[in-house]
Amino acid sequence: MDSKRRGLLKALGLIAAALPLTGCERLISSVTQELGQRIPENLSLPDSSEIDPSFHLLSRAAYGPWPGDLDTLRAMGSEQWIEEQLSPETIDDTVCDLRARRFETIWHEPGTCYEYKKPVLREEITRHTLLRALYSKRQLLEVMVGFWTDHLNINLEKGDCIYLKPADDRLVIRTHALGRFRELIRASATSPAMLVYLDGKENQKKEPGDVPNENYARELLELHTLGVDGGYTQTDVYEAARSLTGWRLRTGWRKGTVYFDQSLHDDGEKRVLGQTIPAGGGATDVDQLVEIACNHPSTAHHIATKLVRRFVSEDPPAALVQRVANVFTSTDGDIKALLRTILTSDEFRAAKGLKFKRPFQYIVSCLRALAADTHAHQQLIEYLLRMGQGPFQYPTPDGYPDRTAPWLGTLLWRWNFAFNAASNHLPTVTVPLEQLAEAIGGKAPFQPEQLMSYFIGRKGSNSELKAIADYQKSNRGDSNYHAELVAVVLASPAFQRC
Amino acid sequence: MGNTSRRSFVRKLLLAPETVLPPAGDRTLVCIFLRGAADTLNMVIPYGDDEYYRLRPTIAIPPPANGTTGLRLDDFYAFHPNLAPLLPAFNEGRLGIVQAVGTDNPSGSHFEAQDQMEHGESYGHTIGGGWLGRYLRTRAADMTPLSAVAIGPTIPESLRGAPTASAIESIEEVQIKTPSGNASGVASVLSALYAAEGEMVGQAGKATLHLLRRVETLRGAVYTPENGAVYLDDDFSQGLKEIARLAKARVGLEVACLDLGGWDTHFFQGSTSGLQADLIRQLADGLAAFDKDMGAQRDRVVTLIMTEFGRRTYENSSLGTDHGRGFALFALGGLVKGGKVHGHWPGLAEESSSQTDSLNPVGPSGLKVLIDYRSVLAEVLTKFLGHRDVNQVFPNFHPEPVGVVW
Repeated sequence: MDSKRRGLLKALGLIAAALPLTGCERLISSVTQELGQRIPENLSLPDSSEIDPSFHLLSRAAYGPWPGDLDTLRAMGSEQWIEEQLSPETIDDTVCDLRARRFETIWHEPGTCYEYKKPVLREEITRHTLLRALYSKRQLLEVMVGFWTDHLNINLEKGDCIYLKPADDRLVIRTHALGRFRELIRASATSPAMLVYLDGKENQKKEPGDVPNENYARELLELHTLGVDGGYTQTDVYEAARSLTGWRLRTGWRKGTVYFDQSLHDDGEKRVLGQTIPAGGGATDVDQLVEIACNHPSTAHHIATKLVRRFVSEDPPAALVQRVANVFTSTDGDIKALLRTILTSDEFRAAKGLKFKRPFQYIVSCLRALAADTHAHQQLIEYLLRMGQGPFQYPTPDGYPDRTAPWLGTLLWRWNFAFNAASNHLPTVTVPLEQLAEAIGGKAPFQPEQLMSYFIGRKGSNSELKAIADYQKSNRGDSNYHAELVAVVLASPAFQRC
Repeated sequence: MGNTSRRSFVRKLLLAPETVLPPAGDRTLVCIFLRGAADTLNMVIPYGDDEYYRLRPTIAIPPPANGTTGLRLDDFYAFHPNLAPLLPAFNEGRLGIVQAVGTDNPSGSHFEAQDQMEHGESYGHTIGGGWLGRYLRTRAADMTPLSAVAIGPTIPESLRGAPTASAIESIEEVQIKTPSGNASGVASVLSALYAAEGEMVGQAGKATLHLLRRVETLRGAVYTPENGAVYLDDDFSQGLKEIARLAKARVGLEVACLDLGGWDTHFFQGSTSGLQADLIRQLADGLAAFDKDMGAQRDRVVTLIMTEFGRRTYENSSLGTDHGRGFALFALGGLVKGGKVHGHWPGLAEESSSQTDSLNPVGPSGLKVLIDYRSVLAEVLTKFLGHRDVNQVFPNFHPEPVGVVW
C-alpha cells in the first residue's frame, strides 16, 4: 500500500472516530470495505487432495484465511510472509483499527477504569479482542495474544480484575506477545490485574512470623515458567513467594496502581531453584526471581511444549519440542525465534488438518472465510459464551485447555452458528455470500467442489462430495439452498479442524 | 454416551465400584434460585418460638390449628399454608429443610450476595467462574450440549466457566435450525460427513446427532407428565416441566438452573395471603408437580431451592421485611434426607443476632447463619453427584457435614 493511500485511510479513520458512536458503525463498515476488506474478483482455489501448505499456514499462524489471503501469501512465499508477520509494526492495520480502536476503556492507564460500569468494561475488551482477531492483518500477533492470554490467564470476574485487565492486555500481553519471554513474565509479575488475580497484592511480611501468600509464586513456577513437572520443590515455591512480598496496589488515590512497600517485604536471603537471591534486594528481588525461573531448563522445555501443542499437534513431537527448547535457550527466550523454528519445521508442514478448532477459532475462522461485516455485538459474543470460550472468562489460572476433548460438546452450537452465519441470520453480522460465491466460482457459483476447496483448503474427498451431493438433491429449489450448502461445509468435520 | 463407553463404564463399575463416577447425566442437580431474598421465616414458621409472634405482629403465620394457619411439620416448625402441595413430599421423606444457611456477605446487596453464592465464594475472596462451572470443568470430557441447561434468557453466574452451557426457554431450541427447515436433510448430510471422520470428532458428531434425534422424538410427542402431575401455565412451572422432560429423556442433563424472582418484600409482604403467599403458592405448585412427575425416577434428581439471604426477623413499618441474613434452604429428591428440618434453630432474640463471628460479620441483622451455604452444595456434589475433590470447586473451603443427602 503506498503512503498516499495510507494517508487517506488515516484521515478517514479520524473522521470516523470523530463521529458520535451511534450510527458510525455503518460508516466504518463501508469505509473498511471500500478500502481494504473488499473481496477480490477472483480467488484461486487449492486443487490438491491434501490441504494446501499456504492454507495450512493461514489456519495455524492466523485465524484462517480472509478472501484473498491465500493468493497474497502464495505471491510472497511463506518464509517472507512469516517474517512480515513476525514484524507486525511493519504491517499497516488501519482498516482493523477503524473497527477496534474506538473502545475507550482499552486505552486507559492501569487503575483508571474504575469510573466505568462492569458491563461496559466486559463488553469493550471482549469486542476489541474479537474484532482484532477477525480483522487485523497482524494475524500472527493476534494468535500469540490469544496464546499468552491463556498462558497468563486472568479472569475478569475475579476481584477487581475487570478494571485492571484492559491495561494488562495492552501493556503485558500485546506489548510482549512477540518479544522476549522473560520480559513478558516480568511485566506480568507486577501487573495490577495479576497481582489481584493471584493474590500477589496480599503477599506481605509485616511481622516476623508472617508467612507469605504463595498463590502467584506457585503458578509462576507451575504454569508460567517451569511447568508442573519442572523440578521445583515446595521450598522453592515458599522462597519465591518470600521474594515477591511487598508488591501492593493503591486503594485510595490512584487506586489500582502498583507500588512496592519495603516495610512489607521480606528482605532476607532466599534460595530459589538452587540459586541465591541475596538479602537486601528489595524491589529487585522480583527481577532476580523472574530471571532464575526463566533461565531454568524446564522453562525452555515447558514453553516449547505448549507452543508446539498450539501450532503443531495436541501430542507435540518430541524432536521439535527439543529443537524449540534449544532455540529458547540459545536466544534467551526470543519468542520470534521460537515461532520461526516451529512454522518452518517439517513437523509443522506435516501436521495438516489435525487440530480441533476451539470455539473462538471456529467462529473467527468462519467469519473470516465469509468476509463477514460485524462490530462484534453481544449477540455474537453469546455464541462464544454458549460454547464455553468467552474471552477472559476462564475461571482457573491454567487458561482454556488446548486439547480436543473438552470442546467436543459444542458441535451442535457450531452447526447452528454455521447455518445462521451463512444464511445471514446472525444478528448484527452481514455476510456478502453472493459476492463471495462469484469470486470463488465465477459464472457457476456454489459448486460443492469449489466450496470445499475454498473453505477447507483441499479438494473434497469422494465421500464428502457424495454426502453433499445427496444433500443437494434433497434441497434443490429452496431459496436458501446456496446458503445452506455453504453452511454444510462450515458444519462439516473438516472445517472443525485446521 | 456411546455404547462402548457405557460398556466400559459398566465394566469399571463391576471392577471398582467405589472409584467410579456415575455417567454424566444419569443424575441431575436442579438449582432453583429465589431472587430477591426470600423471607423463609414466613415459609418454614418457627411457631414454637414466641419471639416470632412478638416480632411480626401483623405478618406472622398463625401456629397450626384448624383453618388458614401454619401446617405442622414438627413440634416447632410449620409450613406456610401455601406450601401445602409440598407437605406430602415432606411427610414421605423427600423434602428436607436446612435451617440457618447463608453466606458471610455483610453487604446486604442482592447483587453482591447472589454473585458470591453463584460463584461459590466467601466474601471478598473471588475465585473465578461459577461453582457449577468449576464443577462441570472437572467433567469436561463427558459434556454434551445439554449437560448444563439454564431455563431462561441468560446463562446464570453459577454456570460461568462451564465447558458448555445452554440458556434455553424450552427443548424446542435444541435442534439444528436451518432457514429452509430441511432439518432431516441436514442431519443426514452431517451424519454421512461425521461417519467418515476419525475417532474423537466423529464420535462427538455421532453422539450429537443421536442426541438431536432423541430430542426430536421428544419434541414431536406431546409431553405428558406422569402420575397425574399438573404443571400450571406460569414460567416457573413450565420451566420445571422442561427440566423433567430433559431429565427423563436421558440426554446428559447434569445441571439445570431455574429462577423464581420477586421475593424482595419490603412493602406489604402479606401473611397467609398476599404478595409473598402468591409466590409461595407458585413455588409449591411447580415443585409438587415436578416431584410427582419424576415419580419412579426421583432418585435421579436433587433439587436445591436457595436464595441470596433471608430477611429481618421483625416486620417493618410498611408491613414488609428488610434485608436479613440466614435463610432456610429446601432440598427435594428421592435421595434427600427429608421429613426433617436440619440444623439448629439460632433463635430470634436480639443478642443472638448481634454476636458476630466469621459467618456473621457486622452487617444487616437477621437470622444468624449457622451453616455456610457451601457445606450444603459440597454435600450434594460429593454424595449425590459423586464428585471427589471439593477443593476443585470450593478452594480453601472445608465443608461441614449437613446430613441432608443420603
